[in-house]
Amino acid sequence: MGIITVSDVVKNYENNGLTVSAVQGVTLQIKQGEFSAIAGPSGSGKTTLLNMIGGLDRPSSGTITVAGMELSGMSPKDLADMRLRKIGFVFQAYNLIPVLTARENVEYILLLQGIDREEREKRSIAILNEVGLGNEIDRLPKEMSGGQQQRVAVARAIVSEPSIVLADEPTANLDQKTGEALIDLMHRLNREKKITFLFSTHDKMVMERAERLILLTDGKISQDKVEKPKGGKKTKTSVNAGFKPRVNRKR
Amino acid sequence: MKIFLLICWRNLWRHRRRSLIVISSVAIGIFAMMLSMGILNGVYYQAIDNNINIALGHVSIQARGFRDSMTLRNSFVPDDVLIRALAVQEGGTRGYAPRLKMQGMLNSSESSKGVIIVGVDPAREKSVSNIRSYVSGQDSGTFLPDAESNQICISRDVAEKLDVVPGDSIVVMVQDKKDEMVGVGMTVSGLFQTPIDSINQFTAFVGIKRLQEMTGAGDSISEINIALKDRNRVDETKAAIVRAVHDTSLAVLTWKEMAPYLVNSIMVVDAMMYVSFGIIFITIIFSIANTLIMAIMERFHEIGVMKAIGTKPSWIFSMILFESVNLGMIGLVAGIVFSWIVIGILSKVGINFSFHFEAVRAFGSGAVIYPIMRWTDVMAGAVIVMLTTVMAALYPARKGARIEPLEAITFI
Repeated sequence: MGIITVSDVVKNYENNGLTVSAVQGVTLQIKQGEFSAIAGPSGSGKTTLLNMIGGLDRPSSGTITVAGMELSGMSPKDLADMRLRKIGFVFQAYNLIPVLTARENVEYILLLQGIDREEREKRSIAILNEVGLGNEIDRLPKEMSGGQQQRVAVARAIVSEPSIVLADEPTANLDQKTGEALIDLMHRLNREKKITFLFSTHDKMVMERAERLILLTDGKISQDKVEKPKGGKKTKTSVNAGFKPRVNRKR
Repeated sequence: MKIFLLICWRNLWRHRRRSLIVISSVAIGIFAMMLSMGILNGVYYQAIDNNINIALGHVSIQARGFRDSMTLRNSFVPDDVLIRALAVQEGGTRGYAPRLKMQGMLNSSESSKGVIIVGVDPAREKSVSNIRSYVSGQDSGTFLPDAESNQICISRDVAEKLDVVPGDSIVVMVQDKKDEMVGVGMTVSGLFQTPIDSINQFTAFVGIKRLQEMTGAGDSISEINIALKDRNRVDETKAAIVRAVHDTSLAVLTWKEMAPYLVNSIMVVDAMMYVSFGIIFITIIFSIANTLIMAIMERFHEIGVMKAIGTKPSWIFSMILFESVNLGMIGLVAGIVFSWIVIGILSKVGINFSFHFEAVRAFGSGAVIYPIMRWTDVMAGAVIVMLTTVMAALYPARKGARIEPLEAITFI
């Protein structure tokens, strides 16, 4: 059994009286330690699927199990607790708390987990050193570049050593070089800490680096391809699955 | 917890100007409260002091029934035991003086006036009353020279009514021990003008021995007035005197019991003030709530992210509550400091209310009021601000706590 199990999940939205199916009967299993990406064009349902796996959204039907917990029966409070202890999130727009410094942003997760102050400080400084921000720990998000902010977000996501990191378009706001460095970093953390990484992306570079690429088209899995080993290295593996990946990077 | 408080604190200063406006509104509200309470305190304290120092004393020992019927029947002879009892209190007592009081009539060739005749021993009276100091100004004459002299000290108001000046004679009529009216011609020694209207209208002072002699009262007196070094010790002093005197025919009363109208009117005005402060702070509640709602809408996305990464709704609720309390507490401290400085200055120089003198004189205070800032008012202000800010934050905090993380993180 995988660390993430998605069984026949459907997600429908009501829009002006019309039912729109964002995810249509997806079944999927992610194993511990995978470095996987869900790719697809805009509107293909990849973010919706990622949100449901993260307990931020609920499926219309089907079940999702994360780290042995079946999410559909959980209360909002229990879901919040599950997200806190089992999942690290990396968002497209970094989403750091703007009034906290890099160290405080990372420490915040540990604070929520009730870890004592000394341990919090030690772990947050260590993880920021690990992501290469040892000299930036007292800077506010607005004083850092996009790449630095996203690295803080990664540090925040992994500081509590969660089972899974869900990254929604993590490179979308980064330039090519910074994006590659970020994926390198996450792949290294994946290898060293055995943390499962699951991305949603339409960045060609991320797709090429993923060890497993799940392509979604119109809410259905159109391709699920495992290609090991890759991660940190660029390969010439084709990701052609009937659509042209959009490269959306800002410098 | 430190990070949590840091978030609250730093959030306050994200919109510095907006926060400062709210803080200023709280500070101004507190200042208005402290100043108005300070002025009222000044009026009360002066009124209380004047009533105590001119008429009441802090504690009075009198025959039971005297306050209902101010006649010689309700008088007593202060025996040695009583004197010894008073001596016991010497440590906390500034002084004591006997008084003989009765109703009487003053007649001049022009008019007559009903007053309370107060027989005093001028030598002892100095230790409990400052009435002597109100005999001042041009052509005022002097207070009574001694307890035996055939002189009377009346107020300027009474002198005006009788059309007399110091040195003139008037007839003083009182009821003697046999309930018969006796009339004695006396010379006006001096004219007083106190800040208390009722004293000015209805009181005249004569020597106690002369009054005892006129009425055949012997050594009887109506009351012994006791002045304390510390006004706050009236209740314990009263209890000690009751124990020492141990005479059921005598009543021991504090100034509060002798002037319930003063205590009641202070309580009524206090209550009215607190109602008006409540109204002021209700408007502040809406100001703070409005600011917090704006702040939450601006941070909708951010709060969603906080919830997405595992922050519990109760934490978000507490965070917004803390922000509101922080705003209020800063305003409170600013308001208190500003009030302390301004009231500190005004308590030295005073505020001249002579344009409104009749009103303050009816209360028994002077025309120049010296505001007083009490710790109890500061505490009341702190409680009001705390309640205000918590109430103001309840709705915004609930709104923030209920933000759906998914809706918020997709909100642009």
